[in-house]
Amino acid sequence: MLLSAQGVARRYGRVVALAPTSLDINGGDAIALIGPNGAGKSTLLSILAGSLEPTEGSVSSGETGAGPRVGWVPQRQAHYARLSPRENLELFARLEGVADAVGVAESFLRVLDLPDDGRWTAQLSVGNQQRLNLAIALLAAPNVLLLDEPTASLDPRQRRRLWEVATQVRERGGAVVFATQNLEEVEHFATRVVVLLDGALVFDGSLDEFSRSPEADVFA
Amino acid sequence: MSKIGLLLGKDLRTLRRSPLLLAALVLYPILFAVLVGLVVRYANDRPRVAFVDLDHLPETLTVGSQQFNVEQVISQVQGSVDLVPLSQEEADDQLASGGIVAEIVVPPGFASKLRGMVESPRLVLKTARGGFSGRVEQQTQALVYALNRRLQDAYIKANLKYVKLILEGGQGSFLGNEFDVVGLDRAAQMLDEIQRTSKDPEVSARAAELATFVRQARLALTASGDSLRATANPIQLKVDTNAGRTWLLSAQLQAYALALTLAFICVLLAAAALAAERDENVLGRLVRGLVRLRDLVAVKILLATVIALALGFAIVLLFGVLAEALGVTGGEPWARLPLLLIGIALAGAAFGAFGTLVGAVSRESRTAVLVGFLTALPLVLLGLVPEGAARAAWWAGRAFPFSHAVDFFQAALYDADPWGTLVREGAWLIGLGLLFAAGARAGMRRLLA
Repeated sequence: MLLSAQGVARRYGRVVALAPTSLDINGGDAIALIGPNGAGKSTLLSILAGSLEPTEGSVSSGETGAGPRVGWVPQRQAHYARLSPRENLELFARLEGVADAVGVAESFLRVLDLPDDGRWTAQLSVGNQQRLNLAIALLAAPNVLLLDEPTASLDPRQRRRLWEVATQVRERGGAVVFATQNLEEVEHFATRVVVLLDGALVFDGSLDEFSRSPEADVFA
Repeated sequence: MSKIGLLLGKDLRTLRRSPLLLAALVLYPILFAVLVGLVVRYANDRPRVAFVDLDHLPETLTVGSQQFNVEQVISQVQGSVDLVPLSQEEADDQLASGGIVAEIVVPPGFASKLRGMVESPRLVLKTARGGFSGRVEQQTQALVYALNRRLQDAYIKANLKYVKLILEGGQGSFLGNEFDVVGLDRAAQMLDEIQRTSKDPEVSARAAELATFVRQARLALTASGDSLRATANPIQLKVDTNAGRTWLLSAQLQAYALALTLAFICVLLAAAALAAERDENVLGRLVRGLVRLRDLVAVKILLATVIALALGFAIVLLFGVLAEALGVTGGEPWARLPLLLIGIALAGAAFGAFGTLVGAVSRESRTAVLVGFLTALPLVLLGLVPEGAARAAWWAGRAFPFSHAVDFFQAALYDADPWGTLVREGAWLIGLGLLFAAGARAGMRRLLA
């Protein structure tokens, strides 16, 4: 097991964004988080990523004890608008403690086909910004990749590239957890499905179990 | 490079790429200097005061034996106010409408009382209500003082004329009555003659006694000129306008210019920079173990400190160059530079820490800038309250770094023995900075929500 969430919950005053939820993430998992808007998918991913503290419960690393390297692609772009993609990548690589920050940034610019003409990120298309969002998450070679509706603004070619990268993470023994509203992506990529409804986990099972469950009808 | 250094470098690069913000940083001190200049001009501007002559003063007025050209005297003594001759009706109308700030009325009989030199004539001052009245009263007092200075010579000369009459004798007049005075000189001669010619030893002895008194009286009255002048001016003020710095280059203005500029720029910059991390949605990435919250607060305080040093150094340089170019004496613009830079760094950090607190509770950069301005402005104004004026307001001002920065800068610039003040105010700045930073660190949790 790479990562384990034990009864994590998040409340904002009297509003419950996420009811106590437990989730174990194992190597090789491709977990699809599905649910309507406001179901708590982003909240759960933020808690798993460590960017949001749960009001109760905890997230722990797996049995190895070494602690997973978690890469997180939030739904909203999370980079500096007045820096170029290269500057963003080099900065976050250095903050991640990557030894060859310049080399790693260079390789991600090439692999994800990001513009390197000195333009600020704010001047790039939404698709390019989303790819930069992904590239930053991949800088530390994560073994758990958390994707929050990652394909929303990508064209078909870029979507394929994204899933190739995600597959590579799984092939290295890692896991991918992705929130999506797109059942086609779930069918093509997920090995496990988690359904959230009104902040509560209502289903956690394999893709086959999901396809036979009543929840599948809700999202069909 | 440390993570703090990396993020500071990012912030400085971002700042360089924000031309509007950069222009504001450069133009702010210039704008500030212009505003101060306008305030100075306003402060020195001569208020318009009506001169209402109900006595119909003659062109030339004789007081004692001295003649005064009334118009000339008024133009010579009106330095502090702009006297405008108006009728009573016009003056009242303009005072009511704000066209003038006061009227000085010369009542009927003024000139005759002045000529009589027995009773002091009175001028009447009418002022409007409000903030100007005190200042106008002061300036009118200055005008009356200047007039009195001109008249006192005439009064002294007139008094001395009577003294001379008593000494030398002759014909004199007082309140229209003509009379003959023997005079002490002639009285002494007459007594000597009596003494010489009298055959009665008792009369001779009395004449000798009176002659001694007359000699003593002559001696005393001979010195009465100096004595009268000394009575009129127990203390004289000699004005030397070239002895010190102009107000525009004074330590006080320099200290306020520095503190005011740093207060607003550092507070707003740190507040906006911290809130911008949330605006750009990067905060979530950073706090995932990349950067500690306290380090993020430290970065923004450092950013404010670096900008404070750059901007403060430019202002100090400008003042120093001006002082050198204008050949202004006093103060040590260059020798105290290191001390001043330490103060600028401490003040920048303290203001920056306050800014991070504002940024942490505001959540969003535009709100942070607005809240930063709205909180810094009254706190700066409270910092201007003098200690004895309003105790509560003064203490509230002390809870903000502004007054401590001003005191530090003034001591660093011109105090002969500044160390006590520097240590005290430096400790205040550090203490307040730490307090605000701790508040900002606690408030950061709001940004993460």
